[in-house]
Amino acid sequence: MSEHKALAPKSSDDPAFMLPASLAALRLPLCVGGFVLMLLGWWLASGIGDYGNNFGMSVYLTAAVYCMTIVLGCLFFVLIQHLVRAGWSIVVRRIAELAMVMVIPMGILFIPVLTSLWMGEGTLYRWDNPEYAVEHGLPGDVWEEKLRWLNESWFTVRTIGYFAVWTSLALFFFKNSVRQDQTGDKAITDKMQYWSGPAVMLFSLTTTFAAFDWVMSLAPMWFSTMFGVYLFAGSILGAHCLLAVASYVLQKQGAMRDEVTVEHYHDLGKLIFGFVFFWTYISFSQYLLIWYGNIPEETEWFYVRQIGNWGTVALLLIFFHWMLPFAGTMSRHVRRKPGLVCAWGAYLLIMHYVDVYFMIMPTVEEGTAGGVMGVLASILCVVGMVALLSGLCLGLARQNKVVAVRDPRLGESIAFENI
Amino acid sequence: MSLAIPNGLDNTVEQPGERAPLVLGDTTYHDITEAVCQVAERKPSTSWVIGFLISFALLQWLGICILYLIYTGVGVWGNRSPVFWGWPIVNFVFWVGIGHAGTLISAILFLFRQEWRTSINRAAEAMTIFAVVCAGTFPGIHVGRAWLAFWLAPYPSLNLWMWPQFRSPLLWDVFAVSTYGTVSLLFWYMGMVPDLATFRDRSVNKWRRMAYGVLSLGWSGSSRHWMRYEKAYALLAAFAAPLVLSVHTIVSFDFAVSQVPGWHTTIFPPYFVAGAIFSGFAMVLTLMIPARKMLGLENLITIRHLDNMCKIILATGSIVGLAYGTEFFIAWYGQVQEEKFAFTNRAFGPYWWAYWTMVTCNVISPQLFWFKKLRTTPWMIVLVCIFVNIGMWFERFVIVVTSLSRDYLPSAWAYFSPTWVDWSMLIGSFGLFFTLFLLFCRLMPVINMAETKATLAKQYHVSNDGEH
Amino acid sequence: MFRVRSDQETTDVGQTFYNCELMSENNEKKVHGVVAEYTSVDTLLSACRRVRDAGYEKTDAFTPFPVHGIDKALGIKPTVLPWIVLGAGLTGTATALVMQIWMNSIDYPYIISGKPFLSLPAFMPVAFELTVLFASFGAFFGMWALNGLPKFSNPVFTDPRFDRVTDDRFFLYIDSKDDQFDRGGVEKLLGDTDTDYVQTVVDDDSSDKVPKPFFMMWGLVVGLSVIPLLVVLKMRVSHSSQPRFHVFYDMDFSPAKDAQQYSTLFRDGRAMRPDVPGTVARGEEQADLNYMTGIDMEALTAIDRPRAERLVRRFNPYFQGETESAAENETEGAGKTSTEIEPEKKPVTVGDGDSDKSEADEVPDATAEPSVVEPTPWLDSNPLVLNEKVLADGRKNFGIYCSVCHGMNGSGNGLVNVRAQKIISPDWIQPSSLHQETLYANKYPDGKLFSTISNGIRKMPGYAGQIKTRDRWAIVAYVRALQLSQNASIEQFKNLDDSERAKILKEQIEAKKALKDKADAAAKAAKEKAQADEKAVLEEADAQEADAREADVQEADVQEADTAKAST
Repeated sequence: MSEHKALAPKSSDDPAFMLPASLAALRLPLCVGGFVLMLLGWWLASGIGDYGNNFGMSVYLTAAVYCMTIVLGCLFFVLIQHLVRAGWSIVVRRIAELAMVMVIPMGILFIPVLTSLWMGEGTLYRWDNPEYAVEHGLPGDVWEEKLRWLNESWFTVRTIGYFAVWTSLALFFFKNSVRQDQTGDKAITDKMQYWSGPAVMLFSLTTTFAAFDWVMSLAPMWFSTMFGVYLFAGSILGAHCLLAVASYVLQKQGAMRDEVTVEHYHDLGKLIFGFVFFWTYISFSQYLLIWYGNIPEETEWFYVRQIGNWGTVALLLIFFHWMLPFAGTMSRHVRRKPGLVCAWGAYLLIMHYVDVYFMIMPTVEEGTAGGVMGVLASILCVVGMVALLSGLCLGLARQNKVVAVRDPRLGESIAFENI
Repeated sequence: MSLAIPNGLDNTVEQPGERAPLVLGDTTYHDITEAVCQVAERKPSTSWVIGFLISFALLQWLGICILYLIYTGVGVWGNRSPVFWGWPIVNFVFWVGIGHAGTLISAILFLFRQEWRTSINRAAEAMTIFAVVCAGTFPGIHVGRAWLAFWLAPYPSLNLWMWPQFRSPLLWDVFAVSTYGTVSLLFWYMGMVPDLATFRDRSVNKWRRMAYGVLSLGWSGSSRHWMRYEKAYALLAAFAAPLVLSVHTIVSFDFAVSQVPGWHTTIFPPYFVAGAIFSGFAMVLTLMIPARKMLGLENLITIRHLDNMCKIILATGSIVGLAYGTEFFIAWYGQVQEEKFAFTNRAFGPYWWAYWTMVTCNVISPQLFWFKKLRTTPWMIVLVCIFVNIGMWFERFVIVVTSLSRDYLPSAWAYFSPTWVDWSMLIGSFGLFFTLFLLFCRLMPVINMAETKATLAKQYHVSNDGEH
Repeated sequence: MFRVRSDQETTDVGQTFYNCELMSENNEKKVHGVVAEYTSVDTLLSACRRVRDAGYEKTDAFTPFPVHGIDKALGIKPTVLPWIVLGAGLTGTATALVMQIWMNSIDYPYIISGKPFLSLPAFMPVAFELTVLFASFGAFFGMWALNGLPKFSNPVFTDPRFDRVTDDRFFLYIDSKDDQFDRGGVEKLLGDTDTDYVQTVVDDDSSDKVPKPFFMMWGLVVGLSVIPLLVVLKMRVSHSSQPRFHVFYDMDFSPAKDAQQYSTLFRDGRAMRPDVPGTVARGEEQADLNYMTGIDMEALTAIDRPRAERLVRRFNPYFQGETESAAENETEGAGKTSTEIEPEKKPVTVGDGDSDKSEADEVPDATAEPSVVEPTPWLDSNPLVLNEKVLADGRKNFGIYCSVCHGMNGSGNGLVNVRAQKIISPDWIQPSSLHQETLYANKYPDGKLFSTISNGIRKMPGYAGQIKTRDRWAIVAYVRALQLSQNASIEQFKNLDDSERAKILKEQIEAKKALKDKADAAAKAAKEKAQADEKAVLEEADAQEADAREADVQEADVQEADTAKAST
């Protein structure tokens, strides 16, 4: 039917499926440099503010949550591709698979957050401060009930539980996928598809509660049932952006040049467009309901984010996380230019950081961004953490292939065409 | 009941790397035309006539009740202080929810290139429109003076000298539901034009040919037309997809922007949308499974289609379950006294029976679809889907009635009981729905022939490729 | 126009024929083009490519379903439809926003649920819906318009074989308007492709008259649909002396029932509803005036008879005459009224004389009252029997009504006050602290406190309308307890042994010191913050100075606010 016949898949040990040497060489500098930068940013941030290491830990948590959302987005991407037996995405799925394994280093990077919980009294999470209820005039019985959920041990147990679930999911899907590279066994695909259903359920349950615990509980008395979905919307958007950027970079460096075609960028572009819309839908709904209901218990969160500089950040998000990318990725012509899709992906990854920053930083004790130094420290910290994870990811990619080379649907994915 | 797999092929099993066929049997393009057209061309079967007579009688009964209501006043309903939003709103939300499957199948599954949608989308879209008609009835008559319902429209009135209140979610609802109805109608009709042209070209009766000739607008199948048609279809799908989300989102705003405990919660928008899709798919399956049997469409609406739809029911049912859980958790976590009470009251208050019916039907029963055996046994699917429909009706009942019957003013607390008019209108609305659906089966192409043929062409192409 | 399928449709399908012999017949008819039939997508596509490569441009293919790749094969250009849709969508957004802003914020503004007239978040849903609606109209109508449909008469429809284009056949058509068109050549070109059937498309020779019944039906429908409109128009412009027709009689004339009449509306059949349990009819309340006013009425009657009478009248208007006549009859004055006032004697303290005008019970007369300096005999003790329940109720009501201004601990620093301080409200008067000595029971009797709660003082409104009498007394009791709690001296605790006493004293001293330290630290921090703010504001003001004309005015404003802030 189509005029050109799609290329037959190359043999599985073709160099096009290997991580290009130029990228592999970067892994050590990225790891070391990233680690140093991250520590530097954290150290700089620690000096800001009067409330112990509150500012420093908030900056660190922002970076960690940012990386975590993207890693989890990749995990969800992989799960959902198996769940719906997608064909088009096979050529980019391995990138997501490599990124999702980063949940293991993320678990280690989360240790400081737990440590600060145990060492300090409300350094990061103010509910850990025994004075909190008294200072805020909260009734004793309410606070007592609250502490049954928000206390050090139970919080730690839950956090470990989340990581245990995610690590086992990530490892299960990664190991099986890599095993298929060798064996080409179709039964492996069946097996992954079979388990993807329960996996998605586990995933949604854990991410919902992780969002409540790690981010929502920063404002101990505030609550929003939508919050899990809100974080997830940014997360899945980030994952697709990462795929677009990573595919483009890999192709520029010489990997999978024939496999990832303009059609895949077109699809990623559509999904990015769709998830920009989804993010807007979720955040607008949450805002509208709280704004309209106007109940003091709920408005607190948006109130601090509407005044002063935080109000400016909120407007930035409206214009640059919604309107600009929405208009920018609307056209088919943009989506069919890999360079532009990659550029929008990179842009949205930055905006996603602003979104996470907006969720976390206004809850630091002084409610300030810590001036130029504070912003700089935040950026250093997140750039460092991203670089560290990228380095680790490249290391993992070097030992494996960058495409799921013997997936039974690889041919379909390569030949795939948009209507 | 045996699995109806005509040529012995189980197309629910899919080898990775090979796509299982969506059209079964040694089907040709002409067979598809025949299979679909015979539904409308042959004499109506006895079961159709009986079904139509029953539905039509119920519809008449609905009409009589509406006249009685308008003549007597809305007091004939069970709506009493403090439950002023009783069954009419429950029915409205229920039917709007049912109406979500059609456009979801047409638009969202189209955008996700799920080709299995082709043989079910037409009937599902029709159900969307009929469900919106049923839904629209209730707010229309709920305004009391139903003949003044046009006041909702923002028109320059010489009598009132004022405008509607755009800061009210109820007005958003007017816009959302009417936009949804209109766009769904356009989408449905546009998708039907090529098939109406098929009907036109097969007509032997002059009048029939004329009627379908007018309806098909002179469609000739020109490639240029097809090209613009496909573009328009894709664009409409792109608009209809967020529109589907927006409609039930705005319906959920009706509740969630208020401060009534149990209503004001931010998860409502996505949770209502998931619930709507859930109930819509259940209704589609409830109707499609008997219909495919009666109309002889088993080669086109295959077990694989049913299997896929069951999976969507399972997924959305689980989302709904997660939302119930989240609501409960946050009611406790938030430690707001009224919220805590509202949720305890739902589960253990005077309406506990409604709540647990809802949980059983909506959360537990779809979990049966984890078993493939159940997903591929049509009568079991129908059974579960009927439970889901009941459960989703109860969900709206629980939300509306439990919260209102015990809100901030304990002295006004009361127990809601429906009247015979409430019952009649609920049943009558089913009469309206089924009447329209049965008429549709007789008069319109129930399956999108053009798209199914395109799917078949792809299937041919794949098998030809194999031979090369 | 509408062609009925003729018997010719049964023409053998597979048979190939070039109908040259028919051409002589068709000579006088206009030739529109040539069409060829194919049985599969692949044969059609290869034919398309051949025709395109042969240089034909005015070609078209007819298929029962959209065939992908045919636009390339035929060289069809992409459509402008997306641009139409974009324009329509933007028009929709603009329409919705302009409509809502104009209707709700400009032409007919009114406050609803405390939202601004121009509430953009609330306008978003409708803006979204109209965007989608307009864009969908753009896509739908734009597509038909670009396709030139509806068009019921099409030359290709003349061939009965063409009916199968909506079933399972594919057609390729070359239009005679094409520059290269040459009938023989085209027929040969098409004949060489994988086809069984090539046909010349000529003008439709069927009648172009629309059947009469169609017009009749159409006319009938239009005619009938105009009638209601005409009726409405006629009604609007004409006058009638006939009374209006009442469709809903009982809505226009609601059936007002008199007492003792029968009604079907209620189950007991009575039109009159019995009183809600606990209802007290006007004038029937057995009022204890001491209890209601906080004043010893007997003593008041002795001192200031007119005032006492006014008070009695106020609480019991129906007893007005009786009171007056009683006053005339009884030389002792208070003798008769004492039947309404609770007879029990209470110790009377004569007030300190600074009775504010608002404490007077008869508010309108208060200013004209010559006896402002006259002492009022306030009740000295709480008429309620004090127990834990009363105190708990007092605490609850204090929390609801009083604490917003006076604070939970009564120190006069409630939320409203905090807010007023923050926004530097110009007409705000700081609520009194309840822990001043002037408000203690010995200086400010319970009755007076009760009266203040009931009638208000200075800025404070009266709460008689909101809090029940009994609960106001309960608040009085609670306030006393509150006062005691803040300033209790250790001597008041009788049953303490010495060690306990010493321990408490020690703790007291420590607590006082800690409080003082905290207050000092807070004051210091506040001072620093104020300085920092001042600096920031000044900097801002400097920046504004560089701005245009109004800089001076603004700066003055800023500094004014600044000094106000510093002074607080």
